[in-house]
Amino acid sequence: MADVVLKVEDIHKSYGKLEVLKGIFFELKRGETKVIAGPSGAGKSTLLRCINLLTKPDKGRVWLENVELTDPKVNINKLRARIGFVFQHFNLFMHLTAIENVMIGPIKVLKLPKEEARRRAEEALLRVHITEDLWNKYPAQLSGGQQQRVAIARALAMNPVIILYDEPTSALDPELVGEVLQVMKELATQKVTSLVVTHEIGFAISVADELMFMYGGKIIEKGPPREVVYNPKHEATKKFFANIARLYGKQGA
Amino acid sequence: MPVQASVIAYIPYMLDGLKMTFLLVGGGLGIGFLIGVPIAIGQVYGPKELKAALDAYVWFFRGTPLLVLLFLFYWGVFPALGLNLNAVLTSALVLGMRSGAYQSQIFRGAITSVPEGQYMAARSLGMGKWQAVLSIIVPQALRIAIPGWSNEYAIILKDSAICFVLGVMEMLNRTRYVMISTGEALLPFIFAGITYIFLTYGGVKVFDIIYERYKIPGLLVRG
Repeated sequence: MADVVLKVEDIHKSYGKLEVLKGIFFELKRGETKVIAGPSGAGKSTLLRCINLLTKPDKGRVWLENVELTDPKVNINKLRARIGFVFQHFNLFMHLTAIENVMIGPIKVLKLPKEEARRRAEEALLRVHITEDLWNKYPAQLSGGQQQRVAIARALAMNPVIILYDEPTSALDPELVGEVLQVMKELATQKVTSLVVTHEIGFAISVADELMFMYGGKIIEKGPPREVVYNPKHEATKKFFANIARLYGKQGA
Repeated sequence: MPVQASVIAYIPYMLDGLKMTFLLVGGGLGIGFLIGVPIAIGQVYGPKELKAALDAYVWFFRGTPLLVLLFLFYWGVFPALGLNLNAVLTSALVLGMRSGAYQSQIFRGAITSVPEGQYMAARSLGMGKWQAVLSIIVPQALRIAIPGWSNEYAIILKDSAICFVLGVMEMLNRTRYVMISTGEALLPFIFAGITYIFLTYGGVKVFDIIYERYKIPGLLVRG
């Protein structure tokens, strides 16, 4: 289990009477990219938040490189710093420029000197193809696609063990989805361990090692993306991908 | 000497009272800022007991007339605490404590209008709760609050006139003296009123400049 980077065991979460997660199990090895898909309300976003404990699971355990995050004795801030998180609505810090957004984590959390943080930020921004002319713009002056790429750079600059993506393209205008997916694909190819909640089936098929399908708070089906998409076993999975096919046409990458 | 001329002769005397007015307004706003910002942060992020105590403070100062507060602290609270504070200092402190209550609500509104996602993003980077609040939420809230503070300035400027009841020689009190010594009421008070209008206008313009200086594209502001 030396190479297992993230292990999730029997995660449960309820909001009042509503049981959102009913026992989730899976693991990711270093360098892997896994995709979670499923209808809205299946608990996908809640699951991601339970992994970095932005939401506290009611039951179950999460390990990051053999350290148990759900252990109440661990310093969760220290561990969270090693898990990149990319939000659906980007959540860039509105009062900071693009490069300041990427520098603030290394400075405030990793306590790096400013020059070192700047060097890291520049490197991360270039990796997501944000060119120098955009570094001093504020988030509101950037397109959605640019904002999301800066958000990915913000995660990368922390040198994370893994990046969690929570529907990173669903708030974007269609013409901006491609540039974000392209960056995510490149990172996946560079073996940045990634767990991605998305409906972008093309992305899953072209780069994911595994597709997990969530339904009703459980992972009901998983396997090679092509297999799950084109040859689903469960009724719910069939219905979901048939709907996506109807909405987007031929969805293969 | 005609009445008008004698009133005009008193204008420098009245304007000299502005020094005191500025002292009261500056002191009140400054003290209020130093009190109001921590109160707001405590009200939003503090433990329940602290919130209750801060709520009580805010309700007390928002619910009591300024006149009552001035008398209470000048003749009651400060002497009871063994503090022998003069009328000017008492006035500035009372204006400040009261403004702190109002400013805390301005700032609290600004904090809660910063989207939740900003806090979540800060925590996901590994920032602790207070680090996230102080380095991400507060800098945004301070900017959002500027129009509210501009309004608070306009209010406290005119409230400062009430401090004449403790004998503070600010502009209104001097205007009253001019009336007594010249027997003419209309001109001095018109002059005082116009002066307050100019001060309100000028101060609000200063806040506009501050706002322009610190504004950030896209950061939500409710005027």
